[in-house]
Amino acid sequence: MSGHHISSAKFLWGIALALFMLTFLTVAVTWIHIPSPWNVVVAIAIAVVKALIVAAFFMNLYWDSKFNVILFVMSIAFFLLMIGITLLDTLYRTDPIPSF
Amino acid sequence: MSQTSSTEEKLDHLKHYFVDSDQQFEASKMGMWIFLVTEILFFGGLFVAYIVYRSWYPELYLLASEELHTFWGAVNTAVLIGSSLTVAMAIRSAQLNQIKGLIINLWITIGLALTFMVIKYFEYSEKFAKGILPGSAYSYEGIEHEKANIFFSIYYMMTGLHGVHVLIGIGLMLWLVFKAKKKVFHSGYYTPVEITGLYWHLVDIIWIFLFPLLYLID
Repeated sequence: MSGHHISSAKFLWGIALALFMLTFLTVAVTWIHIPSPWNVVVAIAIAVVKALIVAAFFMNLYWDSKFNVILFVMSIAFFLLMIGITLLDTLYRTDPIPSF
Repeated sequence: MSQTSSTEEKLDHLKHYFVDSDQQFEASKMGMWIFLVTEILFFGGLFVAYIVYRSWYPELYLLASEELHTFWGAVNTAVLIGSSLTVAMAIRSAQLNQIKGLIINLWITIGLALTFMVIKYFEYSEKFAKGILPGSAYSYEGIEHEKANIFFSIYYMMTGLHGVHVLIGIGLMLWLVFKAKKKVFHSGYYTPVEITGLYWHLVDIIWIFLFPLLYLID
């Protein structure tokens, strides 16, 4: 609940190091050519892990007020809803794809 | 606010309508989080466009992303993660009353942000020279797909909007340096540093998704 969490320098460097390693990993997995659609799943999964690390430990959500966590989670939920509802339309169109 | 008095309590920043400094800090931070929610949905629209067109033209994305240089994308990812680290270190310095460290970390962050923009500039100009421009201005012949311009319209919109956010971030950091030099920030008041940091980390998170989605399609 404390809004003034002070992370140690060592901890912050550790988080950055983890993010650098995950960046390397996400590039490295493209070298082994995982068959589609799993290459996309792996790429997104690594990106989600990285984003969660940044949100939790750089943006301090891990120590922050639960209300801010709820705001963040709700924005993701509504974003997924936007994707889902749009795809319900665009994936099931019988007409040809528009010219644009 | 800009008063540089060295009184013991240092409550110059406290607005009369807040109970105390902590309440003011929490209110500002919550306000910033609400803004970040709108930012996520703002970029969300472009991510939806990306997903819809990728579901329609999966082969186009495979072909077109060959034009993007994974190496420079990865370098820029590392640059932004590094800048997120220095922003976090800047906040830590402010929390510990180390104003010199705060200013140094802000300058490193500005330097990294400029590095990102310079790399992006070279990536863009290389594409412009080939005729890879957004929308109807597209004139590159190297991709065997009639909708090749669509991928690059999405690419320019997403990376362009992200780049605008990086530029705004640079402006905010310069403002923070200016304020810090005027001795506005101390361990009891560093709210602008904290919420600019939140903004900067979100810009980093968006790039964390843009990099694999645009550069790493194999």
